Amino acid sequence: MKEIIRTESLAKYFGKMAAVHEVTLTLQEGLFTSVIGPNGAGKTTLINLLSGYLLPDRGKILFQGNEITRLGPDRRVRMGISRSFQVMNIFPRMTVFQNILLPVLSRLNKTSSAFSSLLSQKEAVGEAEKILGEVWLKDEKDFPAGELSHGDQRLLELGIAVASNPRLCFLDEPSSGMNPIERIKVLELVKKLAAERKTTFIIVEHDMDIVFSLSDWIVVMNRGEVLAEGRPAEIRANREVREIYLGEEI
Amino acid sequence: METLAFQGLIGLSVAMYLWLLASGLTIVFGVLGVLNFAHGSLFMLGAYFAFTFYGLWGVNFWLAIALSLLSVAVVGYLMERFFLRHIYNQDHAYQLLLTFGFILIFDDAVKMIWGGVAKIPAMPSFFEGTVSVVGRPFPVYNLFIIGAGLFVAVLVWLLFEKTWWGKMVRASASDREMAGAIGINIPTLFTGVFAFGAMLAALGGALGTPVRVVAPGIGAAMIIQAFIITVIGGLGNLKGAFVGALIVGTLSAYGVLLFPVFELFLIFLIMAVVLMIKPQGLFGG
Amino acid sequence: MKTRLAILFLIIFLAVLPAFAGKYLLYVTIHILLLSIFSLGFNLLFGYTGLLSFGQAGFYAVGAYGCAKILLVYPSLLVGILGGVALAGVASLVLGVLCIRHTRIYFSMLTLSFGMMIFSLAWKWRDMTGGDDGLVGIPRAPLEVPGVFKINMAAMESYYYVVLGLSLLAIYLFQRIIRSPLGLTLQGIRDSETRAACVGVSVRKYRLLSFTIAGLYAGLAGALLPPLESTVTPPVAHWSHSAEPVLATLLGGIYTFAGPIVGSVLFYLLKDIIVRFTEYWLICLGVIVVVLVMGFRGGVVSIFLKEGSRR
Repeated sequence: MKEIIRTESLAKYFGKMAAVHEVTLTLQEGLFTSVIGPNGAGKTTLINLLSGYLLPDRGKILFQGNEITRLGPDRRVRMGISRSFQVMNIFPRMTVFQNILLPVLSRLNKTSSAFSSLLSQKEAVGEAEKILGEVWLKDEKDFPAGELSHGDQRLLELGIAVASNPRLCFLDEPSSGMNPIERIKVLELVKKLAAERKTTFIIVEHDMDIVFSLSDWIVVMNRGEVLAEGRPAEIRANREVREIYLGEEI
Repeated sequence: METLAFQGLIGLSVAMYLWLLASGLTIVFGVLGVLNFAHGSLFMLGAYFAFTFYGLWGVNFWLAIALSLLSVAVVGYLMERFFLRHIYNQDHAYQLLLTFGFILIFDDAVKMIWGGVAKIPAMPSFFEGTVSVVGRPFPVYNLFIIGAGLFVAVLVWLLFEKTWWGKMVRASASDREMAGAIGINIPTLFTGVFAFGAMLAALGGALGTPVRVVAPGIGAAMIIQAFIITVIGGLGNLKGAFVGALIVGTLSAYGVLLFPVFELFLIFLIMAVVLMIKPQGLFGG
Repeated sequence: MKTRLAILFLIIFLAVLPAFAGKYLLYVTIHILLLSIFSLGFNLLFGYTGLLSFGQAGFYAVGAYGCAKILLVYPSLLVGILGGVALAGVASLVLGVLCIRHTRIYFSMLTLSFGMMIFSLAWKWRDMTGGDDGLVGIPRAPLEVPGVFKINMAAMESYYYVVLGLSLLAIYLFQRIIRSPLGLTLQGIRDSETRAACVGVSVRKYRLLSFTIAGLYAGLAGALLPPLESTVTPPVAHWSHSAEPVLATLLGGIYTFAGPIVGSVLFYLLKDIIVRFTEYWLICLGVIVVVLVMGFRGGVVSIFLKEGSRR
């Protein structure tokens, strides 16, 4: 099994508080990985550091053996890393179709093309349509993205994340803010994408059902550090993990 | 050597006007998150009101200043309460556009009410005359301005550091939601802060009336420098605004001496340099 | 289909205008075309990229003064215009590098400041710009390609056609740009800068591109001014001139292609009407801006679009 992303003593401080403290972690390609932990454990900060949204104060990040520690998010995307956001981050004034088209165009390096029309970009258009179908949004193609229902926006968010055809995709609380029905749909989509695409997913999640049903590997964080990691069964049996969740049924 | 020292003192007095203008701008931005393009117009209104009370109606100098502050505070209140407040949640661009619209309104309103001709008011008798500084005559009034500016700076610092109102304001600036949650009436507080910022600008304008021309556009002329000051010092940072004002004030005084045509250019250059080295401003975080 | 017919009709109308319009109407129409070009560039930055610039008049001035200086020594219209545009492009590239690295508020402040810096240069640098007297005696140079043709521009109609031709070209190019992948990328940056970066877009690079194109358009509008007026004075660089494309675009509709053009027409109409009743034109403009911002974001064009772009 090949490693896909690795950190060495990664640290990020906000003032005197260590949001992420000396995290050394190696994650494998092809293993659906969940990062869990109580609120404030540093999960989102870790994802932000790995995706380039934040720069670390100390430590290194290596992607497929290449150092990416200080690269901006756009560079990382071009190397094959993408992400979705916990707080919805779509392009509200653009249509659903355009939302997907942009990352595809970016991947195909066509974004500086100034005089050809969008529709003439056959390859990009075809691909975007395919992805739209994958995320079940074909009917909403021409709607302004900002007018979609909350649940559909989340599907779109996932669509944008996979549209750049990443090798590694971070999903930050993909089911956050969803009602039970929407939640199921989102999870089905994540499952489907994980099965059908050559993408390694790393998700931050609170919902334990989701975590244990989807994951091949679980990383548990607490107070900025990695408390434990392993296969779901191991984690379920781990006493320390059970303690920090204070007897919650996991 | 004496020329440099003398020019430095002139720069200091210019800096005080700039400080009064920039302080209000930076406070309003730091607390409300609004960049008030029309802030210079409030400075101008302060000058016009003071000129009317003191120069035209013969009111006592100090009373005239106080009345002009009050008048502009009312204008500020109206601006915030009925217009700005309604667009806080929206794209910053709309706030900028709105305050820009106000510049146009104030500029012409001033022409309508007071006529477009520049006014030159009289000096209050107790400030007349000059003092000998390094062998050259330095206006007493400028010394007063320097003193007044420093005094106000200390007052403002005390206000925000030591008083209960100041603490509420700082709490609201750093976390609006939390402050609201613990019972601070955010809308009222914001209106108060805006009016306070307006008064600082008005004070700058009012204090300038005996020595500076009162004309449409005086605010616009200074607002650019006020922007530069807040950029140099860091948006929302009072200490930064004070230091920035000192820098810009003394630089423009020396610039006038050494590079007569391009002193404004010099200030822009400094701003560009600061931005390249530390984009959030010298004291920004 | 209807819009295409309307556009065709408009172009034909503009093309035959000199046949029945007097000199003054042609003069005003030229000014409307200049403001349209100016405003289109502004709106690429604002409506499509999300950057509000209050300093575009600075680049207009560079275009105007540049063209003027060229025409004063080498009276060839094409060279003057191209030279002015090129200079404006360089200026916007250089200043753009300084401005676009910053958040939107700093950006707006910086553009205002740089615009005024150019104004103070124009005003004080007597040797170069003529100071507050400006540059005078600028010839309406003939349109010529040496050895191929030379068309005299003395008549207003002739110059009108040059301006019309260049305007239509500029408008056409603009349309191509906003419907291209580049246009989509800029809109992505406007909608969500973070998201754009996270789909692989180098935000800084594209903002600079947008800023430069806006500068080129401002420069074109500026370069077309000196042959018309035969003088160029510092007020063309003043922030109050930067306000004109802002207002025209607000009036016509921010997020639309035609908004700035419609707004330019409205702007001149309003100015013409208001000035007949009062000299206090700015206050009326200010009130209009306040009303538009407080209530009526979509501008006039949104009335005609089926889905109004109200935020």
